[in-house]
Amino acid sequence: MADSDQDTAQYAAAVDEYLTRTYEGDRRRELLNSEGWDPEFAAELADMGWYALAVPESQGGLGAPLSALGPVFMQLGRHLVVGPLLEDILLPAMLRRPGDWVSAPAIAAAVGTGVPLALVDPGVTDDWADDFGSVTLNGQQLFGTVNAVRFARQASLLVVVADTGTGSAVCLVDPAEPGVRIEDVDSADPTIEFARVVFDGVRADGVAPAGPADGELVIRIRSWARLLIACELSGVAQRSLERTVEHVGQREQFGRPIGSFQAVKHMAADMHTRWAALHNLCLATLADADRAPVADLELLAATAKAHAAETAVRVCEDAIQLHGGMGFTTESDMSWYYKHALALRGWYGEETELQLRIGAALLERGSADHTADIDDSARDGGDHPTDRA
Amino acid sequence: MTTQDESLDAFRARARAWLAEAEPPEAPLDLDARFTVLRQWQKTLFEAGWLGIAWSEEAGGQGLTHMHQLVFVEELVRARAPQPIGIIGLEVVGPSIDRYGTDWQRRELLPRLLSGDDIWCQGFSEPNAGSDLASLRTRAVVDGDDFVVSGQKVWTSWAHMAQWCALLVRTDTSVRKQAGISYLLVDMTSPGITARPIEQMTGDREFCEVFFDDVRVDRRNLLGGLNEGWPIATHTLGTERAGATLRRRVECEVALDDAVAQLRRHRADGPSGSPEADRRTRAAIGRCHVALRVLDAQTRQTTTRLVAGAGPRPEDSVDKLLLNEIEQIVFSEIADLLGPLRAVPGSRPRGLRSERWVHEHLFSRAASIYGGTSQIQRNIIAERLLGLPRG
Repeated sequence: MADSDQDTAQYAAAVDEYLTRTYEGDRRRELLNSEGWDPEFAAELADMGWYALAVPESQGGLGAPLSALGPVFMQLGRHLVVGPLLEDILLPAMLRRPGDWVSAPAIAAAVGTGVPLALVDPGVTDDWADDFGSVTLNGQQLFGTVNAVRFARQASLLVVVADTGTGSAVCLVDPAEPGVRIEDVDSADPTIEFARVVFDGVRADGVAPAGPADGELVIRIRSWARLLIACELSGVAQRSLERTVEHVGQREQFGRPIGSFQAVKHMAADMHTRWAALHNLCLATLADADRAPVADLELLAATAKAHAAETAVRVCEDAIQLHGGMGFTTESDMSWYYKHALALRGWYGEETELQLRIGAALLERGSADHTADIDDSARDGGDHPTDRA
Repeated sequence: MTTQDESLDAFRARARAWLAEAEPPEAPLDLDARFTVLRQWQKTLFEAGWLGIAWSEEAGGQGLTHMHQLVFVEELVRARAPQPIGIIGLEVVGPSIDRYGTDWQRRELLPRLLSGDDIWCQGFSEPNAGSDLASLRTRAVVDGDDFVVSGQKVWTSWAHMAQWCALLVRTDTSVRKQAGISYLLVDMTSPGITARPIEQMTGDREFCEVFFDDVRVDRRNLLGGLNEGWPIATHTLGTERAGATLRRRVECEVALDDAVAQLRRHRADGPSGSPEADRRTRAAIGRCHVALRVLDAQTRQTTTRLVAGAGPRPEDSVDKLLLNEIEQIVFSEIADLLGPLRAVPGSRPRGLRSERWVHEHLFSRAASIYGGTSQIQRNIIAERLLGLPRG
């Protein structure tokens, strides 16, 4: 356990070191001006093995537990690294398949060279589901539209969550298949390129047998997406705080640093408290998540994301306020961090819809037993539904 | 797992089993009755060996660790058992006497403090010394073998019922304000002491103002050295803060569990109201859960620091500020579900017992005032954690 904690810290430290050295400044600006996609940068990260971190050793990965990705995503958020990182780091680790399987080369390419995967999931939101789209699986055929998919244009494989009528299934689709349409849509988020994905009777490859086990995979993918986005938002908040503390300590008005004024000081203290709480919530959730049964994982992740959605945006807003006029410009990094926080806030649920989900879960299953011992139902991490597919 | 973890588990199991058998009392609303019942409860806890868990054995304690103490407090709260009446003595004053007291003080005062035979109050704040506690003006002058004390204290819980008072007094006016403070242990039956209860907005009246009019206090009742009271007080307040944060966290979790249980029973009995009303209930409960999970995660670090024996740290201010906010979120969200019926005692909107949630809600407004206001915590965080310049 101690060893794995140490490994986790080392991964995050290596990511921080590399990004500090190579990414801060011009490189980040170039990426932000190209909606987050740069094949060279993606290949560079693949070369360093970043996408292989949580892929099992049997498939050429480093075999870290999914929770080890949390501190890495904090660093990605802190350095405002953009691109299909969630998809390329998380999905290969969750979609373990035998080597002879048809989509395996695409997943291997994502890990090895950084050609992205796209997650086509109408379940990104509850309250806007009608506007967001839907996908159904009818026999082996996919139908439907999802109106915003991250980096679908660049993807070599679409990981599709489809409604089977009795539950959900994870399907894998080659974007070159007949019947797949990928349409460009504008993105107001400088860090993410979006596309609309339309399926018109597309043959799904690698459909896991629909059923409760597969529904569980869907919940696991969404939960880990929520948790890693929460970690990314924690990193976004951290850097916004760091920059702000630096700024108010230096910037002088009325003959003294503005950080000596109590009105400013108290905002900075609140920012720190909010970030620290989010950071600790992410760490505590990561510590519990690897071994949590799926229902607990869902609640843990929704809770972390709900808090991250609210907190990171507030920290960024205060950062802009305390940077004064410069904070409102694109010359200051604060505006970029804010836009990224706003985009991540709504992805897999902002606070209001997640609070509703959490409240419903508690009222239905009873009071939250805060002393519940998750060890009782801990399961082996290798007991993965798709391993049996 | 180390042996200490195992013994903690065993300790928890023993505490849980004992509490299940003990039939803890419900705290009566009437103040005098409450005092009597909770004092008896303290005696029961003491005789069963559940008080002074982390104190030395020669002081009458159990000689276990802070972690054991925290485990017991957690189990006590989860068993819906009240705190013993002498909580100020047990959490705040006792640990200071155990650490800084003379042999005579520890021998004479601590056993009766533990058993509840002596109830202690804490005379720190004054009408003009609140957040700026070190500016306190209650004076003590040496006269022969005695100190003679004059002045006024305020927010002194249970002073009108207490046998003893931990009193901060000014013994030197010629030095820096922190350097002229002494810590006295005062017998409340001494001539010249008047305690007057102040009614709070919850309707409770355990707060008092206390007047000291030429009260004579024996020199052997000085805790620590002359003019050395300030470090003792800050140490005490720091210890109190970490322990109280953890206790209050569990109390808030238990409160949410109780509210959810009341709401569930109501929903089970009949329709859960219009979709809009139900949406509001779900949102409120979800928000409370998120807030408490944040507090749980945050206080894991506190526990680690406390167990490592770290004294008060600026990080404690982050905990306190969060606790204040979260406590107020939780109780205002629950109380908001009462709607206009919060004004009707005995009503059960959505199954919620209105009297309890109104009382808890009003009490939560004190959270950001007592134990260091939220504004003071923000100053500490900004200056000591973030390194921003003093104003």
